[in-house]
Amino acid sequence: MSTEAIHLHPPQTDEIAPGTLTVRDLHLQKEGKVILHNIDLNLPASGITTLIGPSGAGKSSLLRCINQLEKNWQGDVTLHHKNLCHWPGGDEQLRRHIGLIAQKPCVFPTSIFRNVVFGIQGFWRRRHAQHIAEHALRKAALWDEVKERLDSPASALSLGQQQRLCIARALAIQPRLLMLDEPTASLDPRSKQLIEHALLELAENIPLLLVTHDLQQAQRLGGHTNFMCDGKIIEKNISHVFFTQPQRVESKEFLRWSSCDCN
Amino acid sequence: MSSVFTPAKLIVTLLALPALIIPAFALGYIVYQGSSVISWQFLTSSDALDGFGNSSGILGQLTGSLLLALGGCLIATPIALGAGLFYQLQANPRQRKLLESVLYLLQAIPPIVYGLFGLVLFVHLLAWGVSLLTGMLILAIVVLPALTLNTITSLQRIAPEYSEAARALGLSDSALVGRVWLRHARLELITGQLLAMARALSETAPILFTATVFSGVVWPESLLSPVTTLQTHIFYLAQEGGNPLAIQVAWGSALVLVASVALFSLLARKLKSIGEQ
Repeated sequence: MSTEAIHLHPPQTDEIAPGTLTVRDLHLQKEGKVILHNIDLNLPASGITTLIGPSGAGKSSLLRCINQLEKNWQGDVTLHHKNLCHWPGGDEQLRRHIGLIAQKPCVFPTSIFRNVVFGIQGFWRRRHAQHIAEHALRKAALWDEVKERLDSPASALSLGQQQRLCIARALAIQPRLLMLDEPTASLDPRSKQLIEHALLELAENIPLLLVTHDLQQAQRLGGHTNFMCDGKIIEKNISHVFFTQPQRVESKEFLRWSSCDCN
Repeated sequence: MSSVFTPAKLIVTLLALPALIIPAFALGYIVYQGSSVISWQFLTSSDALDGFGNSSGILGQLTGSLLLALGGCLIATPIALGAGLFYQLQANPRQRKLLESVLYLLQAIPPIVYGLFGLVLFVHLLAWGVSLLTGMLILAIVVLPALTLNTITSLQRIAPEYSEAARALGLSDSALVGRVWLRHARLELITGQLLAMARALSETAPILFTATVFSGVVWPESLLSPVTTLQTHIFYLAQEGGNPLAIQVAWGSALVLVASVALFSLLARKLKSIGEQ
């Protein structure tokens, strides 16, 4: 099925009011090389914010900084007005509020059900694991395909299903923010369509921060687009405005050639 | 690949053949010499009171060897695991390099030196005497570097995606280790244990004067009692050159020892192949 045939209804996102996630003047340097420079970013309470840009622009590094998988960055990042660096309970507790989905699906070598509930902690939540798993699988648009075989090995699923399983696993811990690093990069059009649909539904309730190299996908998903290059955010705008009327020369160049020179 | 047998291939084959033929000949000779005394009675009786190999039972020696090897591995395992986890979780590149260097250095030290160390520290200074405990500790020290290096390699072979996925779900270090690392690496870790058992069973020098006696003991009464082992049994019997029975028992003991070591090595190899699948 062609991806153009997908019926998408991007949530309406207006001006971004600081609140959910606020990044101020984030700077990351590794082995003497500047990876991220003066990053400012606001995420609305819901909706999709995409990060686009050439390879090596720092998009994935930004996600890793927010998730505290990358340390030693400078700047001020708050989630719901709480500073990430002083999160109660430390980085582990913080990561329970910020889900991160990697490009390559990574399922643990156990059953589908156990994968979904892998991150669930606490007596009460574990007692309701069955219900939580079903809810998360439905949200990730996977329930109908796996409800009869929850005890089957997760590795038996297709790549697209595995990626949706990863999304369900992240949703099962009920994050306040979900970040996705090129979640459909290695998937077939059908899986891509299903995941995009699931993301649009999720974005009605929580903010999503999505890295993608697929410009058409960024357009389809709507919301806000941030164009990054050489460790900096070059331009940000509402997606349809950015893609129809890019302001910066670098943005125009990137939209036309998928590459740019930002030095 | 070409099937033509060129002179270069012939030379390589001729160079490689001794690597197979010499050990195979030695093994064949041990089987030939040892099989004549192998019997159910040989394996299940002991000769402690007869002494000096005049009786043909080796149950006490076999038990002693297995107890020492098992004890050594059990003592070394948590230490090796701790060192491996330190390497993976906390050590910076400099500490990693230092740890690796120390482990390779320790691995290269001749086991007899560890035996001497054990004699001074455990037997004399701590006054534990020649005992099972001393032998276990010495063997633990002997197998520790290899076991630690195996643990590090096993943990390193876990795809980083699993660790990142687990961390992204908010798992603590301890949960990451227990629920992801140990589960993923379990086959390789068990393989390392089996190889360490095989190595410990092969060692004679470090236990010769720290844990074993030749006769007078069947079962160690406590951890502080001496034991008899197959390795030292062969060592003593081999010196009884004028006694054909003693030499025959030595060959039989050697065959049982080789079979025990081979059993652990083959099990390790089987597990490794399962893990690779």
